[in-house]
Amino acid sequence: MVFTSVANFVRSRGPDEFWRKRKIFKMAAHYIGRSRNCYSLAIRSVHRALVFATKGRALKKQDLANLWVTRITAGCEQHDVNYHVFRESLSRSNIMLNRKSLADLACWEPFTFKALTDIAQKRALEEGIAPPKGNKVLFVPKRGSQKKT
Amino acid sequence: MSALKRVQQWATFARIWHVYDAAWQNPFHSAKLLKKYLMGLHKPIYHPLNDCGDHVIVINTGDIALPEDEWKKRAYFHHTGYPGGASWTVAWELHDKDPTMILKKAVYSSMDGNLQRRYTMERLHLFPDGKVPADLMKNVSNQIQQIRPVPKRLDHYSEQERKEFPKLIDYPKDYILR
Amino acid sequence: MSNSHIFLKSGFIRTPSQNGVGRYVCQLQRVVLKFCKNNGSSRGMREFVESELINFAKNNPGVVVYLKPRRHRAPVISAEFLNGDKQWVSCHNYSKQDISKWLNLLRTQSGNTTGFRLRKLQHTDHPSIQGPWTPYTFKDPAENLAEYPNTELSKPKIQLKTATDELLEIFNSVQISDKKGVE
Repeated sequence: MVFTSVANFVRSRGPDEFWRKRKIFKMAAHYIGRSRNCYSLAIRSVHRALVFATKGRALKKQDLANLWVTRITAGCEQHDVNYHVFRESLSRSNIMLNRKSLADLACWEPFTFKALTDIAQKRALEEGIAPPKGNKVLFVPKRGSQKKT
Repeated sequence: MSALKRVQQWATFARIWHVYDAAWQNPFHSAKLLKKYLMGLHKPIYHPLNDCGDHVIVINTGDIALPEDEWKKRAYFHHTGYPGGASWTVAWELHDKDPTMILKKAVYSSMDGNLQRRYTMERLHLFPDGKVPADLMKNVSNQIQQIRPVPKRLDHYSEQERKEFPKLIDYPKDYILR
Repeated sequence: MSNSHIFLKSGFIRTPSQNGVGRYVCQLQRVVLKFCKNNGSSRGMREFVESELINFAKNNPGVVVYLKPRRHRAPVISAEFLNGDKQWVSCHNYSKQDISKWLNLLRTQSGNTTGFRLRKLQHTDHPSIQGPWTPYTFKDPAENLAEYPNTELSKPKIQLKTATDELLEIFNSVQISDKKGVE
């Protein structure tokens, strides 16, 4: 393409104005106030929303992983196992369950989860797996857990 | 929802009342422990949006033990909002004024500052001694274990036990016992 | 980027009143076939009406079928379901077979699936076999009888050896070795 002037170059960009704007308005359809009707405001908030959406995709995964760790820790501690010891023992016992399924088991199938902690406890005793040294999380075992078997 | 599922729901989200004896416990370590029970972090059903926190009754907050010389060194800041309204209260002073305050502040600051924190704190019931209203105590169905053992003082040992304890050294004859 | 889902209803897969367990109730209640008598885009629809519609109506007595001829408009199937949903299918230039297939799809559907976003692609009424976790699941029944506050239950379980204990141990072991030395 040959552009004789800057003005022509500016006008020649992109698709037709109506369709270009419609694309943005469709994404701003659920906003309130002028940001759904005024293009200059709509494009601003749509741009912002898309940035949030991009970041949110990674954040969602992190948040869920954190939640699973919290739930597994809660499940572990009622059976007197440290989270790190639990995961390490399970992987050494060749039980390759991820955090999501472990958290699901802790919540929905508590007795299966207890069986897993029993395996982990035994493996940890056999191989001497201890919680990491920097681990300053308070860990108070429940009654009856320290019984020698 | 069937009748059985409804009961299941009640059981899963039942609020449990715990009691914790704070005698001879470090309030800052205790706070981390109590926070778990208050927020429901000890349950595998935990979610920040589901209301699964438990109640905790803490007794004997008057007998907490601060590490090292923190009674003298730890200062609590308060500002009235007026110019010159800043004040610093040392831990022992604050403890004199209100024996539950140090533990309360420790628990409060151990949690993230979000909208839920005030409501979570409502579930914490602090008592400076063992006197708890009977209507609260009758709800309790679990005891939270202490973090460290309560030490036994010399005058709590019997005369017999003290005599049988192995003697390490003999005091010199000119040593004055006060 | 498509944002067509933002105004859709959303929910989970469900079967209305356990339909198909024991008895089956056709969820499609009413069908309106709209077409033009002259226009070429309605040709398939006209052929369907002439040859197959009677059979369809006979085989599905629970479905009310309406015909709505209208001039110079595109052919459309409008289906109404038992749950109040309404679904339109545009049949522009569809053949007889196409319309027959679409009608069959609508007949076997339980609602307007195009106007509904599924939050999850799977659903179960019984997520747990062993029963979900409760605070009482792993509780020691003996604790039901305990009086609270309870000094015994309050004790920490990890009891590290105190200096006093170690001293006593050393003292005892020394005494035993002394006795042996004497003998």
